[in-house]
Amino acid sequence: MTGETPSSPQAAPARLHAAAPPRHRQATVADRLIANGSVVSIAVFFLVVCLLFSVGTDAFLTRPNLLNVLRQSAPLLIAAAAMTFVITTGGIDLSIGSVLALVSALSAALLQFGVPWPLVILLMLACGGLIGAIQGYFIAYEGIPAFIVTLAGLSIVRGTALLVTGGYSIPIDSGSPFVVIGRAWVFGVPLPALIAVTMLVIAFVVFNETRFGRYVTGIGANREAVRRAGVDVRITTLAVYVISGMAAALAGIILAGRLGSGSSNAGQGFELEVIAAVVLGGTSLFGGRGTIVGTILGALTVAVLANGLILAHMSPFLTPIVTGFIILVAIWLNFRLFRGSLRSR
Amino acid sequence: MTTTPPPRVRMTGISKRYGPITTLSDVSLTLAPGEVLGLVGDNGAGKSTLSKILSGAVIPDAGTIEIDGETVAFTSPADARARRVEMVYQDLALCDTVDVAGNLFLGREPRRRVAGLPLLDKPRMHGDARAMLDRLGIVIPDTRQKVETLSGGQRQSIAIGRAASFDPLVLIMDEPTAALAVAEVEAVLDLIRRVSAAGVGVILITHRLQDLFLVCDRIQVMYEGRNVAERRIEDTSIAEIVDLIVGHKFEARSAGHSREQTS
Ligand SMILES: Nc1ncnc2c1ncn2[C@@H]1O[C@H](COP(=O)(O)OP(=O)(O)O)[C@@H](O)[C@H]1O
Ligand SMILES: [Mg+2]
Repeated sequence: MTGETPSSPQAAPARLHAAAPPRHRQATVADRLIANGSVVSIAVFFLVVCLLFSVGTDAFLTRPNLLNVLRQSAPLLIAAAAMTFVITTGGIDLSIGSVLALVSALSAALLQFGVPWPLVILLMLACGGLIGAIQGYFIAYEGIPAFIVTLAGLSIVRGTALLVTGGYSIPIDSGSPFVVIGRAWVFGVPLPALIAVTMLVIAFVVFNETRFGRYVTGIGANREAVRRAGVDVRITTLAVYVISGMAAALAGIILAGRLGSGSSNAGQGFELEVIAAVVLGGTSLFGGRGTIVGTILGALTVAVLANGLILAHMSPFLTPIVTGFIILVAIWLNFRLFRGSLRSR
Repeated sequence: MTTTPPPRVRMTGISKRYGPITTLSDVSLTLAPGEVLGLVGDNGAGKSTLSKILSGAVIPDAGTIEIDGETVAFTSPADARARRVEMVYQDLALCDTVDVAGNLFLGREPRRRVAGLPLLDKPRMHGDARAMLDRLGIVIPDTRQKVETLSGGQRQSIAIGRAASFDPLVLIMDEPTAALAVAEVEAVLDLIRRVSAAGVGVILITHRLQDLFLVCDRIQVMYEGRNVAERRIEDTSIAEIVDLIVGHKFEARSAGHSREQTS
């Protein structure tokens, strides 16, 4: 090395080798599809399921039914969007079904005591956030695996809900504005669906367009790298569980409003349904890879399946069986088709 | 009476234990503005740990760090970054599933206000990333590529580009050329010359001793967690440095004729 060539150190004075065509081409549509293979495969599943039920039943492809699906799946969609953040950091939140139950029971109880409904909503969201913060503290600051912390949370929170209600469900006066949240229609659309869509839009923007969303993905990919970049990874990790807890609380409020009662037995297995929707959508359980769009499609696929099987006069017990198979096949497709083609190109 | 300005970095009495292992014991290090310091030592000598302490990634058990004469206490890499200390880590510290631009800007992503919300300014990120890569002569066709799809050399280049591009006062490079091809090594050495000429203090850790003689002003040798020697580059030879690293007269053929390569 003799002279300094500050602008481009590698600019060779004379080429020894013949020029070759560039080795990289611009990404084509096909490249982009393959890069987003997980979302594409769940989109295909979703469309196939919708098509099957549209042809197989008269009632499926009607406006009231579709809106009803959306209304019923609102809690699932909201919790799944939040769970996408959790899983993308490489974590998991098993406590959300219990939080949903506690919130639905507590809100019914508080309304019975005459606490004004807006205050009940605020208190319940704070309650979900606080449970998330406590769990997040043990995960992010004490380094205990999320699976263990939230498994304990699942047990403790469900137990608390049972203790508060004595195992009974508590009715909510159907005149209360609280039930409006679960039952009202606005502009011809169910209010729960509107709330869910709003939350999904916020989740999408936060996940893809903010620093926080970046760090959520980064922490799942390489936590130490994000820490060394000067980011407070612990508060970021804690925040993800606060979001999850608050989303579960919102889901509980909507559910209690829709059913007109609060029950400590609500949301049994809800966490697994939510995790299934997220994984179905293509978010990696190992962290670092997440997609809100995939999660929406995954949650809607689960919801449409449940609805369509009932409309087709098949046993609703088939829903979990079919869901399970679809999870297996969709993930298998991702691994085989899309990853495979990426490698062998 | 005029006093000489304080060194850019002065680390004194640095000690660090990991359980039963004393990784560093009473280690010192100074670095002047614009100086290139070569830090050498056998594997396990403690070079990475010492440099991580300066970058805030590891907190020492004892010792003080001064930057420009001011005592600092780094409790996290964010603190060191705020004092414009940047480091290329030996284990690269990239996020595989984040794209090239995202890794270059990790921790200081440019933002713009959209309806009052601070959202990522992705067009600017990709534009600036392209300019950064071109300036450093790093060949990566698409800044939207995920880092996991890149070669080892490209990944290393990104780590170097990230540390060098944000106007550091101190640039620490822990074995930056380990995965690089010939031309890329030359580019890194060139970069070191350029940034040090602009006043940046550089600490270079490498096993390629011939590189040290191309860019360094001074070499500090560590042995089992201690400082054992310090030489100005004009007063020493590769053969002597090799002896100092292994701790005894070393009669390896690989060290014998390497002196000539540097002249
Ligand atoms: N996080 C850690 N935990 C336990 N031991 C460590 C840790 N980091 C470094 N060490 C030990 O400290 C010693 C020095 O390591 P290091 O600083 O990486 O040396 P070098 O970079 O000179 O090869 C090694 O013996 C290593 O095992
Ligand atoms: Mg090392």
